[in-house]
Amino acid sequence: MSLMKDLTNGIYKENPVFKLALGMCPFLAVTTSVENALGMGAAATFVLIASNFLVSLFRNLIPSKVRIPCYIVIIATFVTLVDMVMHAYLPALHKSLGIFIPLIVVNCIILGRAEGFANRHPVLNSIADGIGMGVGFTMAMVVLATFRELLGNGTWLNMNVLGSAFRNQPLLIAILAPGAFILLSFIMGFFKILETRKGGRQ
Amino acid sequence: MIEMLKLGLVLMLVALIAAVALGIVNSSTAPIIAIQQELEKQNAMSEVAASLMPDDSLAFDSLSIHNLENPYASCDELLQVVKVFLPPDTSRIGYVFIAYGKGYSSTLQTMVATRMDGRVAGTIILNQQETPGLGANIVIPSKLIEHLTGMTAEECRLRKDGGTIDAMTGCTITSRAVVNSVRQGLEDMSGAGLFYDDITLDEEHAEGGTE
Amino acid sequence: MNATALLSMLLAAPSSGNQGFDLGKMMAIIIAAIFVNNFVLSRFLGICPFIGVSKQLDSAIGMGAAVVFVMTLATLGSWSVYNMLLVPLNLGYLRTIAFILIIASLVQLVEMILQKFSPSLYRALGIFLPLITTNCAILGVAVLNIDEKYSLGYSLVNAIAAGIGFTLALVLMAGLRQRLELANVPPALRGKPMAFLIAGIMSIAFLGFAGLGS
Repeated sequence: MSLMKDLTNGIYKENPVFKLALGMCPFLAVTTSVENALGMGAAATFVLIASNFLVSLFRNLIPSKVRIPCYIVIIATFVTLVDMVMHAYLPALHKSLGIFIPLIVVNCIILGRAEGFANRHPVLNSIADGIGMGVGFTMAMVVLATFRELLGNGTWLNMNVLGSAFRNQPLLIAILAPGAFILLSFIMGFFKILETRKGGRQ
Repeated sequence: MIEMLKLGLVLMLVALIAAVALGIVNSSTAPIIAIQQELEKQNAMSEVAASLMPDDSLAFDSLSIHNLENPYASCDELLQVVKVFLPPDTSRIGYVFIAYGKGYSSTLQTMVATRMDGRVAGTIILNQQETPGLGANIVIPSKLIEHLTGMTAEECRLRKDGGTIDAMTGCTITSRAVVNSVRQGLEDMSGAGLFYDDITLDEEHAEGGTE
Repeated sequence: MNATALLSMLLAAPSSGNQGFDLGKMMAIIIAAIFVNNFVLSRFLGICPFIGVSKQLDSAIGMGAAVVFVMTLATLGSWSVYNMLLVPLNLGYLRTIAFILIIASLVQLVEMILQKFSPSLYRALGIFLPLITTNCAILGVAVLNIDEKYSLGYSLVNAIAAGIGFTLALVLMAGLRQRLELANVPPALRGKPMAFLIAGIMSIAFLGFAGLGS
């Protein structure tokens, strides 16, 4: 029961992006296409699960004074692993995610969950939390990427959706940097409206 | 003091384990990455050289020309030129080189095949990280790079810079990076005496290659 | 040795080849890092402090100063470790781990030194220092400098300019948000959504710098 709760927690109730506003940098940067969003999401989810697992496993062995550097080393190790494996087996994706793979290290979601959840909870719960947060992060990225790719390029997951007439004159701003900020602001506002509606009814 | 030492030891142990684990993984992925990059380059070379002569048995040989520096590359990479020939015959039928141009958000790598008279035969974009939907469209041949075919270094200029090539809409920086880096490469090669004008080209053919 | 000679020697320090000192290239790096590829508004690095610490002008300036300071030191450390230790030992793949450890320990060190020798500066910057460890702009500039294969001199120039760009965005944002306190914002957009909306509009303005200096 509590495992399920930990699993679903990150997906909506404590969605890391829309609710906690964590991990903004990769979130805004890689959402230019749904494909990139899925790739980044998969990589970050893997690192989240793995680091949550290790941190939780060794939570009683690591002295609390040096815990943050230890977590950082654990996270950085997994990020480098993902980097190498992706470079070897998925070179195209590796190329398009570029600088953002090493930057998973400073994705505050991962360190935040290691410090805020995994070091106080048993292994299984921590893994569930990692999966939930990772899926929540990925879903949030896919939502924003959907808007940006559709409006800015007329495609979704590289499939032509809005027709060639739109593709020739798309809303370029959506795919450029400002579009990310503005669309994110609207999505966050939308969530806020949902919440106040729900809160009003209760 | 002992407490400090203990903490330091723990940290060191963690870092050591991490480094060893990474070393093991690296030793197994590094060769794959190297092979993949080499393969990618080979494939690109075959693809672009097909524009010189559509033949599967084209062979490449690297030329090492010193003093050919590429000023557009952010690093000190030398302009690497590869000569293309059809195996039994060793006379070159053209060259392939990679042009580096600084674009809007990345360094664009363009692979260019040139004929012996210094005209572009074919181009492909090897590497770019420009804005998706905008500069990244440079990889679509009909947008820009197709128009480079048949041009000499002199002609290889954007309309805005006094040439005849139209930049991609909204992507002057990306277009200029490609066009200018290709021109620079052609100029450097011609400066190194790699091209022949039409008359000497005939001579070379008559001699059957004097490599 | 006078300062100019030292500067030109530093700027000409070779990374792996013959990058001489080139004022034009240096200006291009500075303009690109501050305006064209502004770390916050166009590269999306350092968004968390950008949104988190931009409510007050004073704290924005403090944070900006701390970032410029740590960014420069981190670049010095990471560049040296990468080019003098990791590359000769063929350990390039340990880059991420090494850099993040350098940054974390540097932040700690700066904090301790400041606390001991300059309590006033420590009071001004102190609360921002721990936040900097997880500021991806710092790691970002270190990684970018390596990817671009800049020499040490150019790396430092790039780091300082990137820090100034970050500060510029942060201070502009703080000024706008202070005024926003008085504005009547739709309830749904109050707080973070409005901050992102403003960032979007600022980012449009910064798009106008595209092409400058290249």
